[in-house]
Amino acid sequence: MTGTYLTAAPEAVSELNASEPRTRTRSRRFRREGRAGYLFLAPSLLFFLIFLILPSFFAIFLSLSKWGGYDLTQIHFIGVQNYTDILNFDSTFVSPILVNTLVFAALAVVLAVAGSLVVAQCIERLKLQGFWRFLYFLPVVATVVAIGNVWKMMYQPSGLINGLLNALHINSIGFLSDPKIALPSVAVVQAWASIGAAVLILTAGIKAIDRSVYEAAEIDGANSWKTFWSITLPLLRPSLVFVFITQCIAGLQSFALIIVMTKDGGPVNSTNVAAFEMYQQAFKFGAWGTASAMAMVLFLIIFIITLIQLWVSRRAGDDD
Amino acid sequence: MRTVLSGRRRRLVAAAAVAAATALVMSACSGASSSDGNGKVTLTFLSHYGDEPMKSGISKLIDQWNSEHPDIQVKQQTVKFDDLLTTLNVRQTGGRGADILSSYALWGGQLAANNVLDKPPADVAKDIKSNYSPAAAAAVTGGDGQVFGYPTEFNTYVLYYNKKILADAGYDTPPADWAQLKEVAEKTTKKDSSGNYQVQGLSLIQDGDNQTAHPFLSLLDAAGGTFLKPDGKSALDSKAKATMELESELAKSGATTTSIMPTKAFPANQVAMAIQASWWIGSLKNQMKDDYKNVGTAPVPGPKAGEQGSLAYAFFTGVNAGSKHKEQAWQFLTWFNSHKNKEGVTEMGDFLASNGLIPPRKADADILGPKLQAADPNLKPIYEAAGYAMAESNAANAYKAKTSLHNALDQILVNNAPVGQTFDSLVAEINRK
Repeated sequence: MTGTYLTAAPEAVSELNASEPRTRTRSRRFRREGRAGYLFLAPSLLFFLIFLILPSFFAIFLSLSKWGGYDLTQIHFIGVQNYTDILNFDSTFVSPILVNTLVFAALAVVLAVAGSLVVAQCIERLKLQGFWRFLYFLPVVATVVAIGNVWKMMYQPSGLINGLLNALHINSIGFLSDPKIALPSVAVVQAWASIGAAVLILTAGIKAIDRSVYEAAEIDGANSWKTFWSITLPLLRPSLVFVFITQCIAGLQSFALIIVMTKDGGPVNSTNVAAFEMYQQAFKFGAWGTASAMAMVLFLIIFIITLIQLWVSRRAGDDD
Repeated sequence: MRTVLSGRRRRLVAAAAVAAATALVMSACSGASSSDGNGKVTLTFLSHYGDEPMKSGISKLIDQWNSEHPDIQVKQQTVKFDDLLTTLNVRQTGGRGADILSSYALWGGQLAANNVLDKPPADVAKDIKSNYSPAAAAAVTGGDGQVFGYPTEFNTYVLYYNKKILADAGYDTPPADWAQLKEVAEKTTKKDSSGNYQVQGLSLIQDGDNQTAHPFLSLLDAAGGTFLKPDGKSALDSKAKATMELESELAKSGATTTSIMPTKAFPANQVAMAIQASWWIGSLKNQMKDDYKNVGTAPVPGPKAGEQGSLAYAFFTGVNAGSKHKEQAWQFLTWFNSHKNKEGVTEMGDFLASNGLIPPRKADADILGPKLQAADPNLKPIYEAAGYAMAESNAANAYKAKTSLHNALDQILVNNAPVGQTFDSLVAEINRK
């Protein structure tokens, strides 16, 4: 054993010696390739660094500072004061602003997901599916300003919707002037405008479901509702989770539609949401620290909600 | 060892290259004005005068300056009013602030606190303090006495009323006190069977930002109250509470609503009275044509007969503290706001008056006022208000406080919130800021 070892050892050593230049060459090649890889990645990494990482760190720093904008030399570190200012009972940030944000996002998500599911299911049974998908996708292509203004006109006391209500002998509704109705009214528009993208994803999801499952269900005598409830919906869950998460994030970050439709988050702050308040604090009032602290709180909320959604979907077995 | 060192050196060189490139980009981005080797300076002038008729009027003046002063050229940069503060903020932070700024005086304190505005030369400050209408001068002067710049667009608030609607309700003259204001507003309000307004008695909102604030502040001035102290703390007192009570009663009776925008409804004879700014008169003439004969103006009445009040707000043109050519910028602004035409009126005053605005310079108003008032008697209360109006606050927190005021008034007008509680919350909110 020892002799073998002894006789084998010089061979092994010589083999090792022979393979050393090869290994070195290979590792040099890997390093060269690695460098080339990083070089190719550099533009995107640089973009990512400049436009995402650095601003994120700057926003975190600003959330702990007092800064009026304009002059970068006048940033004063104040610790967590911005957070204590916005997260107390006297502050309007928690109520009504954060409450509005969550209600708005929830309404928009529920309406958009439910609406897109119904539309996707209906399109699946129609002829000219491409045309219908195109039709529902149109609002996604249109600008938020155009959509907001058209709906604003329809919501007016003398607008189309109130005209129809009056024709049915129903009193006019102050869709954008009644604080109780204004937020749901804007949430409906947000949902309507985002249905198109969700429909595309869901119709793709429906098409990916194996037809044989439906055939088996038909043979077993399942009706349309049972098929939808027991086959379509469970097998569509990955697409639904994606739609849910993206719609939820869009709802929580919504800003443009609010500013177009209600201009100042009114009436009585009833449509004031976190993203709009951040804009006001930073660009109107010069309270960049407060705005950044609000951004951090909103980020945390979106992060937690997304984690919960992923956790729920995983528990339901999507990852299997 | 050599390899390690050369690697480090390479990284060092790479880092230096990145730093140099960044510095180059930053230096290219900094500073808005430029000067060539021959001493010719080009100044940039950021304003919201991008739409007619203001655009061509301002451009005409700038073109005249440029032709008369080849060494100091002025280049206009315009944005929409809604984007003006954001543009000021972003460009200033990015080192691309314009040399000359046109700004709403409400923002003046905020801009001054952040070192955006250059202090005007002594002769400019003296000219503004002595030769401009007291309300216009006060609107562009900060709590510490710093003058922000030359007042330009200057507006006062008056009560606009539809003579025909008032006459149909049995009133030949506009209300002279709050009791009459309430009575006329309630009597002229009409709704159809579906509850839709056919005529709104009194409009207490205006188009644009913080819609309820200016009409309220005009009524507050008529009651003898003020809004903010020079340091930005609340100056709201029992007079402000009484003004809120008045608005609350009008809202509860249905004589006023925030759901109707007077800028559209008044020209359509659907609003009996509205508290609006002086610029509105030109807009009404254009929209109402022959129906303009039905429009009357009167001072905003106070609680008792004989008491009256108004809010005055202004814009100003000032110089950026970061400009490399402040002296030339002030030189231009002095000419821009003082250069007179053959009639002895400043070109700026003439231009403002021709656009339905009050010339903020007293001498201009003295010459142009009587002529214009003879042609349109509705201008008389507007010009007179310049003498007694309360200047809008420009404290560093004024914009924030005004937004809080608007939200509180909205609570009262829309939600019928109790005045006492709303008032206390508002005062606490303003003082907390």
